[in-house]
Amino acid sequence: MPNIEPYRLPAATLARLIHGGEISAEAVIQSCLERIRDREPVVRAWTHLAAGAALAAARDARSRGGILGGVPFGIKDIFDSADMPTGYGSRIYTGCQPAYEASAVTLPRSAGAILLGKTVTTEFANRHPGPTMNPHNPAHTPGGSSSGSAAAVADFMVPLAIGTQTGGSVIRPAAYCGVVGFKPSFGLFPPAGMHMNTDSLDTVGIMARTVEDIALFRAALMAIPYEALTLPERPPRLALCRTMHWDRAGPEGRAVLEAAAKQLAAVGAEVIESELPAECTDISEIQRRHSAFEAPRNHAPELYRHEPLLSADLREGRIAGGRGLSLDDFRAACREADRARAAATQWASGFDAILTLPAPGPAPKGLADTGSAIFNGLWTVLQMPCLTLPIDRTADNLPVGIQLVGKRYADARLLDVGLWVERRLGARQ
Amino acid sequence: MTAPNELTAAEAVTRLQAGSLTAEALTRACLDRAEERKSVRAWAWLDPEQALAQARIADRAGRPGLLAGLPVGIKDVIDTVDMPTEHGSPMYRGNRPISDAACVALLRMAGAVIMGKTVTTEFANRFPGATVNPHNPAHTPGGSSSGSAAAVADFQLPVGLGTQTGGSVIRPSAFCGVVGYKPSFGEFSRSGIKMQCHNLDTLGLLCRSVEDIALIRAALIAIPPRPVDRAISAPCIGICRTPAWDKADAATQRLIETTAGQLAAAGARVSDAAFAPQFANIHEHHRRIFNYEAAHNYAYEYDVHRDQVSQVLRETVLAPGRELPLAAYVEALETAEAFRAHLDDIFTDVDVLLTPSAAGEAPEGLGSTGDPSFNSIWTLGWTPCVTLPAGRGPQGLPLGIQLVGKRFADEALLDAAAWVEARLHG
Repeated sequence: MPNIEPYRLPAATLARLIHGGEISAEAVIQSCLERIRDREPVVRAWTHLAAGAALAAARDARSRGGILGGVPFGIKDIFDSADMPTGYGSRIYTGCQPAYEASAVTLPRSAGAILLGKTVTTEFANRHPGPTMNPHNPAHTPGGSSSGSAAAVADFMVPLAIGTQTGGSVIRPAAYCGVVGFKPSFGLFPPAGMHMNTDSLDTVGIMARTVEDIALFRAALMAIPYEALTLPERPPRLALCRTMHWDRAGPEGRAVLEAAAKQLAAVGAEVIESELPAECTDISEIQRRHSAFEAPRNHAPELYRHEPLLSADLREGRIAGGRGLSLDDFRAACREADRARAAATQWASGFDAILTLPAPGPAPKGLADTGSAIFNGLWTVLQMPCLTLPIDRTADNLPVGIQLVGKRYADARLLDVGLWVERRLGARQ
Repeated sequence: MTAPNELTAAEAVTRLQAGSLTAEALTRACLDRAEERKSVRAWAWLDPEQALAQARIADRAGRPGLLAGLPVGIKDVIDTVDMPTEHGSPMYRGNRPISDAACVALLRMAGAVIMGKTVTTEFANRFPGATVNPHNPAHTPGGSSSGSAAAVADFQLPVGLGTQTGGSVIRPSAFCGVVGYKPSFGEFSRSGIKMQCHNLDTLGLLCRSVEDIALIRAALIAIPPRPVDRAISAPCIGICRTPAWDKADAATQRLIETTAGQLAAAGARVSDAAFAPQFANIHEHHRRIFNYEAAHNYAYEYDVHRDQVSQVLRETVLAPGRELPLAAYVEALETAEAFRAHLDDIFTDVDVLLTPSAAGEAPEGLGSTGDPSFNSIWTLGWTPCVTLPAGRGPQGLPLGIQLVGKRFADEALLDAAAWVEARLHG
């Protein structure tokens, strides 16, 4: 047993120690609950904490089985849970109790993990923020929409958490909070029980503090056998992609990316400057049209019964925007997205991964805005797997990371490359 | 004069708007028919007072909206906040969702009366519900949208919502002798519909005329209604026998050939359309995606409440889906994408494809809802599909023909379907 508080340990270590009988699952849960008790008044990452149920589950011998036996996790309150209230970050649904639970709740539990509670989401995983703060500096946003999951993992309240990304809602908060975030290829994590934001874009994603933990959690969420990551045999070939939005990146974001590219080249990676193919030029506009068109349709139940309880952000933003689009605008966006994906897949096959920004820079000041998804929405539309790693901190103690993007469906390979990069750039915790 | 419950949705809405029919009278006529024909067992939930109360509210308000008090039935895998949603499973007996599905709310916004919940097979999969075929109770109505198909066929309801993951809208429509429609993938919101397969699940309609499709479609997408154009020039029709052709019985094969002949005689340019050889096993790719995604999306049911899941679902779908290697699933996703591009190419030469709606008439017995082979390819292809009733088979049960359009050319498909409908019955 290492001489360190259990709450600070990564999931893979916890699973190994619990499995080997070196620590009890109950002690792990207790440790995380104590950490939460100390820090939650400031960080405000949770909408519901199931302390009693989690401890009871931990005392159950069965929780030592499975690849995540006894390891706690949190899930964004945009997922239905049968034994915990589900509010979708909306005043309309606060305290509601669904009859069934999302696959993203069940599958980690089937792998032995213990659900600690529900984490804060912005309203319907959109822009209107929740109360969560950035644990590294409470004057700054944790990012969103998976705000609570990112903050809880960053603050050592829980080693693993689940979020969702429709624009940039996993990668951006993970980067702002300095954790490892992973968005798989579209559709590879089962979406059942995730409250729909934009059907054609919504992607379940995960957060942890190491790439190995991401691989472990991924196996649980897909109900596939866990295969340990393998470092690539030779240093990877990386595309340094500044994207068409480079002018939107801040100095810290740019500096960290350029430095990472240099460092990786210095340790043997082949780093080639490469930009997305021309078919992807309007990809951010395509993302906007998809999510706007679906908004007034998917939110029809709220618009019909509870319109005044929707935030002005949502009503005057996406919903109004969606009403201004025609069906043909939406269809054209779908067709353009298909073409962009085909071109991007071909482009990405030339590299082991694409090295790019996870966000314009560190978390912006203030809690009213969760920051810009400009460096995320394009990859969400392209359905490509994305991994963000924390790299550095600003003078204000705010994390700045990089993003690695893989070819669609080459998720396992992206994680292997991610491990290689993590070993070389070693995030400063 | 046609009894109110026998009107098509479009005819009923015209009268409702003109004031020559009240929502209450129409709803009551449907309820009376449902009561009289309880033996069809189309309903999972039907509370006459609840339906009539909505109708009276619509009448008092002057029957506003595009649907002006039209009763619509909702397949019981679609959430309703004021009616139970049981997914055809004992696991969800009495389940009350916390919200309406988006499609239900959109119908309410358009002024519809939500009449009740129609029977689904277990989780819109294969274990059947109680519904019988209204034309012959010894035969299946098809599934999984069994109750919507039977209720619409039996004049208990003008329009029902269904969902299709394999063949669950088009096949029961054909078996029950009604018009069925599966739109292009992505056009109807799926929010609040129980997720089975995210790459396949499609909300669809069961009704009694092509006009009804255009009407309800406008409400569900929240777009201005676009009436069916009955003055189009004769379409180019491709006969698509599909790799499943050998599964079609003789009557069905003959039906497609004679229909093609009739339409050619009426002026359509008819040609053969076949898939490229690399898509000969396209059914297998649908099966892989179906099993894999259902096995992961039904994780709560399968992992936590396995004893309440039917043996057939566990053994033929969920267990194989969990065992399917990820690489085999990904290969199917990539093949599906290539297949969709191939279908787009096919539609550069034809306006619509003519193909069987099902392998034959509704099979005898209620244990199986029939073979989805003539549907699953189009569900995978994300193309819009319409089935039209086309006479009776050797056992006296309805047969259908299916028309398939290019993805996102749903309006053109409806126009072509109306053209075909007029020639078949004209």
